[in-house]
Amino acid sequence: MNLQRLFDPDTIAVVGASTDEDKIGYEAMANAVGFDGTAYPVNPSAEGSVLGEAFVESVGDIDERVDLALLCVPGPVVPEVLEECGEADIGGAVIYAGGFAEAGDDGRELQAAVVDIADAHDVALLGPNTSGFVVPGEGLLCSFAGGVERVPAGDVAAIAQSGGIAHDLAFRATREGYGLSAMVGLGNRANVGFEEAIAYFDGHDDTDAIALHVEGTDDARSLLETCRAVETPVVAYKVGQSDVGEFAESHTGALTGDHDLYLAGFEQYGVPTVDSTAALLDAGVALATEPELTGGDVGVVTAQAGPGIVIADRLQRAGATLPELGPETRERIDGILPGITFSGNPVDTGRPMPEFGDVVEAVATDDAVDVVVVYELFEEALGFPVEALDGLHETADTPVLFVSEGPPDSMAAEVAALREAGVPVYFQPERGAEAAATLARYAEIRKSEDEDGVAAGSAADTGGGR
Amino acid sequence: MTDDTGSDPIATAREEGRTTLTEAESKSLLREAGVETTAFAVAADADGAAAAAETVGFPVVLKVSSPAVTHKSEWGGGAGVAVGLETAEAVRGAAERVLTEAEAAGVEADLLVEELRDTDGGTEVIVGGLRDPSFGPVVLAGLGGVFAEVFEDTGHRLAPVDRAEARAAIEELQAAELLGGYRGGDAADVDALADVVAAVGDLVVAREAVVEVDVNPVLVTGEGAVALDALVVLDDGEGRDE
Repeated sequence: MNLQRLFDPDTIAVVGASTDEDKIGYEAMANAVGFDGTAYPVNPSAEGSVLGEAFVESVGDIDERVDLALLCVPGPVVPEVLEECGEADIGGAVIYAGGFAEAGDDGRELQAAVVDIADAHDVALLGPNTSGFVVPGEGLLCSFAGGVERVPAGDVAAIAQSGGIAHDLAFRATREGYGLSAMVGLGNRANVGFEEAIAYFDGHDDTDAIALHVEGTDDARSLLETCRAVETPVVAYKVGQSDVGEFAESHTGALTGDHDLYLAGFEQYGVPTVDSTAALLDAGVALATEPELTGGDVGVVTAQAGPGIVIADRLQRAGATLPELGPETRERIDGILPGITFSGNPVDTGRPMPEFGDVVEAVATDDAVDVVVVYELFEEALGFPVEALDGLHETADTPVLFVSEGPPDSMAAEVAALREAGVPVYFQPERGAEAAATLARYAEIRKSEDEDGVAAGSAADTGGGR
Repeated sequence: MTDDTGSDPIATAREEGRTTLTEAESKSLLREAGVETTAFAVAADADGAAAAAETVGFPVVLKVSSPAVTHKSEWGGGAGVAVGLETAEAVRGAAERVLTEAEAAGVEADLLVEELRDTDGGTEVIVGGLRDPSFGPVVLAGLGGVFAEVFEDTGHRLAPVDRAEARAAIEELQAAELLGGYRGGDAADVDALADVVAAVGDLVVAREAVVEVDVNPVLVTGEGAVALDALVVLDDGEGRDE
């Protein structure tokens, strides 16, 4: 199935568009008019125009070819409307309404009917039962939620099973100052599921990492195989430690819970897992900086002992390794700062100082180090070592994650400058450490897959149980 | 009278309308899959059991063998499993008790005679396989007894797995250190155990009728890994021929 016209449309029809500001047909229209192409409001019982666009009676009445329809209509009307969309050669549709497969037998029948229509006309469906999707870089706001226009553009695609979580992630990204390349709420996954969405955003130019929220799917093996097949790094948050299968007759059955299989399966198929929505975005941002990480050894540089200890502790608890720094690096650091507090790993400079950036550079260029976590409290007189860190990733072939805290207003410009230079910035020692640990974990599981997993991987394709 | 002659245990169970294989059938299937098991033989009466014990070699374990009995040690007031039988006489006695209990319960039962292994010299591990509706074939490894069941200290992988992936599932167990020579014993042959995990995974992949496999316990020593007991569960066979 081609999702190009769903996620990258030139023309949109908002079916059920309304002038009533309390209706989702208005919100959806208000969001849709923000993008480069035309958004047509469709409503047979409306007259005049909304937000400067004249109402049309039906999608069939639009002269140009429409790529995407946003269906702001009640569930029972969807089959009829979708049939019209199919006849008008529309390529994608978002179904916001609920009352489908999530709502009992009648809903399941309704959804099956909708899928049949979509299949007959080759329409890619997002939903039903979703709040839609957003592509900030294109100003493409196919959500009926207010405020999505403020989600910054970035390089992480957040793909959530739940529309609510998708928006939670989008607004969290906004609050944290992260950007997203896309936000997608899959909803009921009528004919666009995890596999289709992941494959599409793997090929999306602006997407460098995929952050996945999963409640559960009835073909988990297919999801895992898709994750393994794509080039873009994927990190997953699996929700719900559900009970083990009731059908189990053996010890094995009684000891095998769904959640265990998701966690083990994701790791086995090259996908690190995290335990919160915050960690999902944090890790996504880290993975987007460096999909080609060659190993999981972390160097830590800190200007204050306490936060550095927290970071080192969290990294080790999460399974990351803090290697010993090479003699050349130690010599170099001693040259920069004679009598430094501690020049092992972590390197503790004792306080922020003008030479701080040089110390980070020395650690980043150490052969034993694959990724660097830096902690430095913000000091207005010094600012951040933006100049030293800009381009360091490329010259040292080592990504740097920066963790800080300080008065939000006074540090905002420097934080923005670091992010502009491609350095992810985090605001809590534990969160920065966990993002780095997930990056390290990703490198380790990808490495072990390269070493022994290729044969097992291809064999798995024939071993699928379904 | 012995184990791995002739017909396929899955086909036999199917013909008889069963979804559970006996221990002997389960072990035959595992042997075919490349898993080492203790020597065993099935007999119909006390004399046959005594003869089987001579073949297998004393001391032996005698167990009830019947599709109707899956929890052998709890069956027949303890008659279902007799451990450490040193003589033909002892085997006959244990066999008679099983047959008497079976008759009283109206159950058709044979006698499974197995080589006795000294479990003190090794570590008992549970290895399992499962056909999950969403994940397909999966495998499990966990240390036997309380580790797996109380602490839920188990490792899972999607099958098929190779030896390295199976080793990783074993090594991530919190109790994995016990395999490394704890209490001054020899380090366990983890590769041999990993091969059992891989073989169980391959079995579930290859035989679509199999929905659950318990190899519990596998005795792991410095010299290898041997299946001491096994249970294979089949689906109900609807819509599938094997």
